[in-house]
Amino acid sequence: MESPVTRLPTRRRTKSYGRSCFEASSRFAYTSGQLTILRIPTTREAPRARNIAERVDPEQVTLLIKNEWKLSYVTPLYRFRHTHLKKYSKHLSAFIAAEKQQGTAVEVGLETGYRVTFSTVLGIAETDEDAETVFIQIQSKPMFAATGDALKVVWSGWLTCVNGSPEYLHSLLPDFVSLPLFCSSGPENITVVVKSWFEKMFDCRFGSLGLDSTSLQWLCALWTGCHPDNNIRYLRLLWTLPTQPPLDVSYTVNPQDAWELWNSVRQEDSVDGTVGIDEVKHFMAGLESHFFRHFKIYLSSGTLRKVSTALGSAQQDGKVKILCSDYLATVLTLLTECAILKMPI
Amino acid sequence: MSKTMSKSHNVSEAESCIHGAANRSSRRSERRRADVEDPFGRALEYFSQVKAGTPVKGNDALENNLVLVERVALGRGLPPGAVATLLDFALSLRLGSSVCSRVLKFLIPASAVPQDSVVRGVSWFCMGKMPVSAQILFLRWILTMFDLIDSKDQLRSIYGFIFSFVTDEVLSPYVCHLLYLLTTKEHVQPFRVRKLLEVQAKMGRQPPLTQLLALYKVLCPEMIAISMPSKTRGGFKNHNLPWKTALAAVLKKNKTAEAPSPPLSLDIKEKASTRKRKLHHLEVPQLSCGPEIESSRGKAVHLQQLRSFAQLLQNLDNIELPAQMGSLLSSSLALHYLDCVHDESALLRLNFWLGSVLHEEFLFCSRDGNPENSTEPSQFLDICLSLPQECFSSSEFFLFKFLAMWDGSLHQPQILSLLSDIPPLPVSRMKMFLFEPLQQLYFTSSVFFKCGVIECLRSMLWKWLTWHFVQTSHKELDVSLSSSRTMNLHMSEFLELVTELVQYVGRLASAGLQLENYHILLHHQTLNFYELVCDVYLKFNLPLFLLPPSGVIFPSLLATDPVTVDRLGYVIFRYRQNLMSAKEHKQQKKEPSFHISRDVFREFNLLMVAVVSCLWISKDCQVDVGTDVHKALVPLRTMLSYCKNYNLIHHPAFLNYAIEFHQKCWPEQTNVDLSSIQGKKYWYWYLEFLFSQGFDGLKDFIQNNMDHQSTPVGGH
Repeated sequence: MESPVTRLPTRRRTKSYGRSCFEASSRFAYTSGQLTILRIPTTREAPRARNIAERVDPEQVTLLIKNEWKLSYVTPLYRFRHTHLKKYSKHLSAFIAAEKQQGTAVEVGLETGYRVTFSTVLGIAETDEDAETVFIQIQSKPMFAATGDALKVVWSGWLTCVNGSPEYLHSLLPDFVSLPLFCSSGPENITVVVKSWFEKMFDCRFGSLGLDSTSLQWLCALWTGCHPDNNIRYLRLLWTLPTQPPLDVSYTVNPQDAWELWNSVRQEDSVDGTVGIDEVKHFMAGLESHFFRHFKIYLSSGTLRKVSTALGSAQQDGKVKILCSDYLATVLTLLTECAILKMPI
Repeated sequence: MSKTMSKSHNVSEAESCIHGAANRSSRRSERRRADVEDPFGRALEYFSQVKAGTPVKGNDALENNLVLVERVALGRGLPPGAVATLLDFALSLRLGSSVCSRVLKFLIPASAVPQDSVVRGVSWFCMGKMPVSAQILFLRWILTMFDLIDSKDQLRSIYGFIFSFVTDEVLSPYVCHLLYLLTTKEHVQPFRVRKLLEVQAKMGRQPPLTQLLALYKVLCPEMIAISMPSKTRGGFKNHNLPWKTALAAVLKKNKTAEAPSPPLSLDIKEKASTRKRKLHHLEVPQLSCGPEIESSRGKAVHLQQLRSFAQLLQNLDNIELPAQMGSLLSSSLALHYLDCVHDESALLRLNFWLGSVLHEEFLFCSRDGNPENSTEPSQFLDICLSLPQECFSSSEFFLFKFLAMWDGSLHQPQILSLLSDIPPLPVSRMKMFLFEPLQQLYFTSSVFFKCGVIECLRSMLWKWLTWHFVQTSHKELDVSLSSSRTMNLHMSEFLELVTELVQYVGRLASAGLQLENYHILLHHQTLNFYELVCDVYLKFNLPLFLLPPSGVIFPSLLATDPVTVDRLGYVIFRYRQNLMSAKEHKQQKKEPSFHISRDVFREFNLLMVAVVSCLWISKDCQVDVGTDVHKALVPLRTMLSYCKNYNLIHHPAFLNYAIEFHQKCWPEQTNVDLSSIQGKKYWYWYLEFLFSQGFDGLKDFIQNNMDHQSTPVGGH
């Protein structure tokens, strides 16, 4: 043997053995640090109320917390530039117009029935690695509008990344911008067109992002933990039990009781400002056993479908509403994480 | 308007004069020579010299010449010079429009159409004197003959003049088609886009116009947006009707030496999707280029513009990759191109695309209980398999996740082949993501799945070894290029991984054989694997000697089918060759790093003794087979006590041959006594007989391991 240490995947330009990309693939095998299975976190920071208005334009914040958002994940955008948002606006509006009237060409830059605005929401990003959030608004001109009529917002959506896994973001090549979480609100047909425009422009792919019960449980616990600072008013959980026909169970907990339960499971190590998955599971087990004591029904045999408090709500099928801007970062961190877990590599 | 036209005429004529001067002088001398005896030459002379205003009616000379030229044209086509002369004659309308259209209708070129004649024709066209019908006929003629025009650069330079006719309602479809054929990126300008959109607004959605606009969008997506309804494909009509049959006949006749250049497989196969799928995960996007919001290199060529392989080679350095890398999947040539450009971002994009498609289709997408038509997914997997880039990390990650929920039957052949493309990874990872889940599936599935798994692992090992071999034998080349992203697997790790894989297969095979009652197919698959393993040192230069476990060796040795025993013989023979050559190498080089454990030799020797004592020695079974083997396989002891029944004569696999041999030796004996073969002479004849039956593995084994003079112990 020539040497006991051989670097295996290397890149070769001089000769091709028909397997050159075998090497190439090995180069990328670890681009994203780890297999996503290995990236599921077991602890996260306890939520801290922060007045987001200090960092973000309050007008933009109201845009984000007003709607119920449908979540999707997006693979990294290739050659997306925050500096080209104006051009993107023109393009997308022409694209929508062209899609509306199949087969008719539309000049880019002309007024069409739709006005698209891309804007950057500065201050949402938490770390230097996070790309700045991009907000998209589509307004339409009514067919027979008087000149002074205001445009009507028909669709809005945004792409964001908050506290994205640094290993993952580092592993991407500089040509890519990772904004893994896509939230949309508006008619489905426009969402489809916007997604297809993004796919054509930035060679990315969208997929729907559902929230599994672990994520919902996390949200449930995190929101409950906010109660002392910010009254959650109620904690409402919705389960579906696998009976014939399926049984929906709506379970509303008094906020103070919920917080006391949460506080009791957290007494062991609560000081360092992190929350562990064990605590979350204990909390849920407490809620479930209480329910069992009264109704003799094991909620753990069903699936958790929805969690809602006065701070926000989240559903299993990926619909999220954020009602209080103070905990935006906490929720978005969790959702970004869910989106990154869905990445193919 | 007319002023510009005439100007254009002059310009293009001047141009053509310069370009065609050399051609024409040679043509003229040719013509003069032909004059003497060739009536065809004289006819051409007539057409080039006939004065405007010559009467047409009753002009016998004209009629005769027309008939003559027409016959030649329809018979074998017109040479380039003649095409030029006749085109000029017809379009100048010297003898009126009826003669013009008559000439155009039989203007069949034999091989090529000189470009300058077409340019000149266009200048006549621009003069505005031609009647509309003649103009249309001329445009249709150009469209039909477009591929025969020898070069198109001058035509492209008068693009603007042709473009000006796009507003003409009657000519517009033909002009659009011609422009479509001529357009390059430089031609797409905002004022032209605006003009076309005006025309669109005025005349509605005309297919040729839409096609032209779509091409503009392909070339300059930043200027225009259009989405084509999937129904309206096709676009242009064929305008070759008057010339079709004649042209085909002439081209067929003249197609002698010229072989057509091989067609380029860039075109997307239009698949007739029978049923619209509810989900579109598997749709391969159309080949199109991205909007150049950032100014890219000026002379970039888009993949979909290329028509031939030669063009691809010419533009290899400035080809622009499509906007959606997934679209490359429809073209193997493009994938090979990707392979040679080494563009990391491009590969990563494709990787993301592929991974997302696989994830969405097979992992995230709930079927809602109704079994979907599975041909499309399996076709997609076939495409993945045919990629020249063997394993994308995304497909590897997908497989690792998919294995956990795979039932072992869905798309089995494809998944197993994809698995075999997995590159070498650290042992712990391999164990966790591949070996463990695969093992569970293996033990709970049918014997055919087991065979599939063994074959898959064999092919995986083979790929690793080949790649390792290439890697080490050309190490001096350029290891330095490895980037920081490279996952380095050290030699020791690679050896560990291969060892682990071989041992894993050993465990699977011995347990699987037992479970499946020593199924013959599984036997062969297993031996296939070991045929690869036994030659690792000699064939792949990897100093690794891993013997099959007893659970594989002894079932093979005692198999009832002779081919299995034969293959085992071959495997042992190859192990011996490898070990011998390694030993020699060690003695010669005395390299400290080259170390073969003594245990390997000891183990091999035990194996040899066991096999030899079984096949060869028939009486005395008190051979020291090694205590550990005995302990490991208690049944072996009992088995070996019967080993008399397993020598080459009494072995169930060879009994057949022994009886046949006996009958040949002693045809008159009805009483078959096989032990008579054990006589020295007969024994060797019997071996020769076996070898002649094609048992080459056995032959190699026996000839290399046995002293030729020795007879089986206990022979007479």
